[in-house]
Amino acid sequence: MVTFFKLDRLVMQFGGLTAVSDFSLELHPGELVGLIGPNGAGKTTVFNLIVGFLTPTSGQVFWLGEDVTGLPPQHITARGIARTFQNIRLFTDMTVLENVMVSLHHKMRAHFWQAMLGLPQYRREDRRIHEEAMGFLQELGLAHLAEEKASSLPYGQQRRLEIARALATHPRLLLLDEPAAGMNPQETQELAGLIRSLRSKYDLTVFLIEHDMKFVMGLCERIKVLDYGVTIAEGTPQQIQCNPEVIKAYLGEPKPAGGTETCSK
Amino acid sequence: MDRENRNVILNTLSILILLGVLFLFHRYGSLYQIRILNNMAIFITLAVSYNLVNGICGQLHLGPNAFITIGAYTAALLTMAPAKKQMLFIIQPLIWPFTVVHAPFLLAILAGGVAATVFAFLISFPVFRVRGDYLAIVTLGFGEVVRVLCNAWQSLTNGPLGLKDLEPYTNLWWSWGVAVFTIVAITKLINSSYGRAMKAIREDEVAAKAMGIDPFRHLLLAFLVSAFFSGVAGALLAHLITTISPTLFTFIFTFNLLSIIVIGGLGSTSGAVIGAVLFAWGGEALRVVESQIDLGFVKIPGIPGMRMVIFSILLMVVIIFARRGIMGRNEFSWDWLLAKMRRGQKG
Repeated sequence: MVTFFKLDRLVMQFGGLTAVSDFSLELHPGELVGLIGPNGAGKTTVFNLIVGFLTPTSGQVFWLGEDVTGLPPQHITARGIARTFQNIRLFTDMTVLENVMVSLHHKMRAHFWQAMLGLPQYRREDRRIHEEAMGFLQELGLAHLAEEKASSLPYGQQRRLEIARALATHPRLLLLDEPAAGMNPQETQELAGLIRSLRSKYDLTVFLIEHDMKFVMGLCERIKVLDYGVTIAEGTPQQIQCNPEVIKAYLGEPKPAGGTETCSK
Repeated sequence: MDRENRNVILNTLSILILLGVLFLFHRYGSLYQIRILNNMAIFITLAVSYNLVNGICGQLHLGPNAFITIGAYTAALLTMAPAKKQMLFIIQPLIWPFTVVHAPFLLAILAGGVAATVFAFLISFPVFRVRGDYLAIVTLGFGEVVRVLCNAWQSLTNGPLGLKDLEPYTNLWWSWGVAVFTIVAITKLINSSYGRAMKAIREDEVAAKAMGIDPFRHLLLAFLVSAFFSGVAGALLAHLITTISPTLFTFIFTFNLLSIIVIGGLGSTSGAVIGAVLFAWGGEALRVVESQIDLGFVKIPGIPGMRMVIFSILLMVVIIFARRGIMGRNEFSWDWLLAKMRRGQKG
């Protein structure tokens, strides 16, 4: 069996600064894995390394048995890895529907001249893209906003649109960069339900970065903790909560007599 | 009647009306009016194709004069009779294939477009390695390179003497036919999936890449399509004014085009058309201010150059009152017009 997804000892150095060091990870199909760590720990850098926005100083990225290290982002997306952005990056001057339709473009078979002349093959494909995009909007409860400008949506819905847009590229691995950032507790809870249902519906493997601990602990099956680019812990949410290294990274040195209730063995 | 059918009917109707108007001018218009209409159509073609790169893809490309020059020279060299060429090239004889070829007009303007496209393809690799101000400078440089080449490569372009006495093939049917075809083809491209990809690159290139869009491929597509139509328009222009020389295609030409699409609204094809019409017609209409005006109680002497002063003032007025141009990024649509008319009836 080929490896589904594997990061092999990724290292990323910016000048003298090591943003990520020796990061290894293997994902199995259908898993829901979280990546946490204090600010500046290098989490987003890991994402950028996976999708090809950065080329690692050393180490490799394997996807479906193929070495995809250093491929440009558009090729990674075409191979089935999609991402959302921490600071929302929608196409603000385009409509909600167009935002999603852009993601379906890379599957376009018709040529540009067929589009320029309005030939039937192109029109058929365009209609299919339109319908499919509407399907994704429906899935995320944005269908009634299809003709609105993306910039006019409230924050929570912009986050949803980011997910819709990523989903529309037909990924098998979905990378979510702080999907719950800026959401209220109710929205966060809805989001967790949404991610679970999308995962089963589209056979997704989800790898996400999040700061909301309640969200991560409730949702993820496995968690990896980064601090200053170094992996300090890995395991189930339960194990992570009790890991002294993690507590130290987040809260500083514990008092000698300390220890939380949940961690008592 | 559904929207699509209605639009087809209205579009056909407006093209028929345009044909009617052109026919009337063709029959009864003065040479001067016909000349203005030809100019208008050529500037529409140029502005709409230029807008594809600058407005839709959001890349500040400052070298359309290169494409226009190449289109103009290629077509001119093809349509000119070999005997005439021999007489014209007095400093250095013309190089081989052009000494014998003599092509019909249609073939010549297509060749003009293709030559411009080939040139665009060759420069696209350095051009699209950079973005923003750097892209502007690189394209500006290539525009200048072509002009300098036209001056220096005497065995091909006849240098500063230029090419004279071209056959005036360009008439209303050619110029407006090309203009309408350009508008339709480029509008279809912009509204297609490819156009959406281009707009996505304009809005956020990083996000576009993450959504599987290859920026180079799509920018190249826009650049080549734009170059093709600019080349064709250049060929039409050459056979309208019948004399071309390197001084015609300086950066000022590019600057005029840029003002047209900025005034019309960067990123709007309708805006580009409106801008081109205003530019071609307004430039002539403003000639009035350069002649002597007698208001009865006061006589204003004609001042040469007054036209440009008024033109600049108008430019500033547009920029003050419509910061994103006349149309912004909006497009003309029948829905909009009909809604407006209905409101007008009620009010």
